[in-house]
Formats: sequence, structure tokens, C-alpha cells
Amino acid sequence: MTAEPFDVRTVTGAWDYATLPPNVQLARGCWIERPQSFERFRSTRAPGVRLDEGVRVYGWTVFNVEPGGSVLVGAGSVLVGAVFMCQERITLGRAVTVSYQVTIADSDFHPRDPRDRRRDAIASAPEGDPRERPPVESRPVEIGDNAWIGIGAIVLKGVHIGAGARIGAGAVVARDVAAGAHVTGNPATVVDPGEGE
Amino acid sequence: MTAGQVLPHDWFPRSLPPNVVVGARSWVFSAHAFLHCRSQRPCAVRIGQDTGIYHGTHFELGPEGEVEIGRWCTLVGAVICTNGRIVIGDCTFVAHEVVLADTAFAHPPDKPAEPAIGSSIEIGENAWIGARAVLLGGTRVGEGAVVGAGAVVDGEVPPYATVAGNPAKIVRTGG
Repeated sequence: MTAEPFDVRTVTGAWDYATLPPNVQLARGCWIERPQSFERFRSTRAPGVRLDEGVRVYGWTVFNVEPGGSVLVGAGSVLVGAVFMCQERITLGRAVTVSYQVTIADSDFHPRDPRDRRRDAIASAPEGDPRERPPVESRPVEIGDNAWIGIGAIVLKGVHIGAGARIGAGAVVARDVAAGAHVTGNPATVVDPGEGE
Repeated sequence: MTAGQVLPHDWFPRSLPPNVVVGARSWVFSAHAFLHCRSQRPCAVRIGQDTGIYHGTHFELGPEGEVEIGRWCTLVGAVICTNGRIVIGDCTFVAHEVVLADTAFAHPPDKPAEPAIGSSIEIGENAWIGARAVLLGGTRVGEGAVVGAGAVVDGEVPPYATVAGNPAKIVRTGG
């Protein structure tokens, strides 16, 4: 048994982006470090992912996009460790920075009601029937231009983050953040309301 | 392990950067740890003797970045991101998914260099950084201190204190 020689291009962004599904749309100048960022991409929407000009995607970023989901990223954004969990739609504006180990989810992916959740658990078993899964709620997430999502932050469904807002490290954001505001903590609270943008 | 060497156990077909120094009996899991190490400093990363740098650890250094790790340390998957200087003392444990960072991301190779920011993060000897903790620029963790899992720290942790939470608060003093 001989091991395949390791191709360094698959971890340095020099791989062939044409191998991505056709509903992943890339504008000019995008850089995606590793194809593994799309291993859990299963959107059938067009686009399922759209990256505008010059978006940089580091290897920790993961596009978990369900069949009905779309992730749209504005020009010049930097995605370092963005784990997108997308059922419906996640939209990032221009020049958004997403740091290490950030999760952005537009759904809880399981029902909150315990009886529905029991059905979901049984249908989700290795040999369960996924068609029996109850519907889950989703609410789109929107993040404005120049926003900054700090290390380890979690952004939950339905949240709108205004332009130029700063989300501190480790913050858990379940409510809207005004433009220019700085929030930290779990649950995230405003430490500086800013002056808007 | 010496600078510029290909690690005998490595899956990643690159040598250690020439400005990385690894002490006697220390272990680095892969040269992949230095994928985003763009430091131009004569010594970008100095790792003391008998220290283990295990899977998932990444040195994300800008052109002025420097990291110094002491002896008998164990790092099991930390992201260390700086364009300044990060120092970790002897006999320190750094747990899984810890981030030590003074910037939001590694310096991209095609962008103009930003100024160095001087001393950034210092962790004293015999400290313990819990899983998923985040240490931001300006953090000083004293000798023998403990940072709890998931804590977010951006200030002083006194020697032998234990901090936890976000933002981190002192939950115990004196070890």
C-alpha cells in the first residue's frame, strides 16, 4: 500500500475552485484556503453560497448549508473561523471580519417543544427516517458592512447586526445589535452604544 | 528538532520555518502549525526543551510577531495570533481550542505590514489555561494561575488566582 503524495495546494488556496458545486458563486479575487470548507455544503438553492469580490476564507471556515439555505458574503470580507449553520439565509455585508471559532446560525436545527424534539431524535437516529423529522424554525441572520465578530462569538437566528458593530470575544448574540455598537458577554450586553453608522 | 528541518513524522510536506527553534526532547506535531507564520523576526517562535505542541496548534504571526514558549509546557490545540510578542512560561498547560490573540486574524501575505504592537500576552510559569478560553491582547496571567474553560480574559490575572466567565472574574485567590 502506498500513500498518495500530499498535495499542498489543498491547504493553501491554490486548488481548483471549479470543483465546487455550480451553485457556489465566486466573484473575482476570492481566496479559499481549503476545499474542506464545503464538505457539509448541501444547498440546492442558487446561489447556495455567494462570495463577492476579494473575500478571503481561511481553513477553519465551514459552510454547513442545508438544501434550502443561502450564505451571501459581501466584498472584502475576511472569514477566519466562521462556522455557518444555515437553514434559510445568512447575509454578510462588505468588509465584515469574522475571527476564530465563530458560529453563525439562522436556526436551532431542532424543535424547542420536547414532544417534537423526541420525534426529531428518533427520526435523526442512524437508522431513523429523516423524512419524519418535524419542521424547524429558521430566521435569517444579517450582518452589516464593516462589522467585526470577535473570537469565539456565537450569533443566533434572526439577529441583525448593524454596520460597524463590534461583537466581543465569546459573546453570545441572540438579539439585534445597533450600528456601531460594541457588545460583549453571554448574553451579549452593550458596553458602548457607539454613534451609529 | 532543528530549524528548517522536515519533521520525520510529518504529513505536511514542508520543513519547519528557518526562524523556529525547538528545544531538546520537545515535540511539534506538524510544520502545518506554521502555515500562517509570516514573521520576519530572526526568531519567530522559540520552544523550550521538553515541551509538547500537539495537533491543531497554530502560530498565526504577522511580520513582527514573536512567540516564546518555556520548558515542560503542553499545548493541545491553541491558536496563537500576534504581530507583537506572546510569552508562555515553563510548566504551563494550554488546553484544547484556546485562542491567544491580539488581532482578529493572521496577517495576509498580500496586505501591507501593520506596525508591531510590542508586548502582547504573557502567561507565567505553572499556569493552566482551560479549554476554549480566549486571552486577548494585554493579558497577563500570573505564575500558578488558572483560567477556567471558556473564560474571556483581557487584563491581569494575579499569581495563583483562578478566573472564570465572560468577562473573566476572579473566583479564587491564592491557589
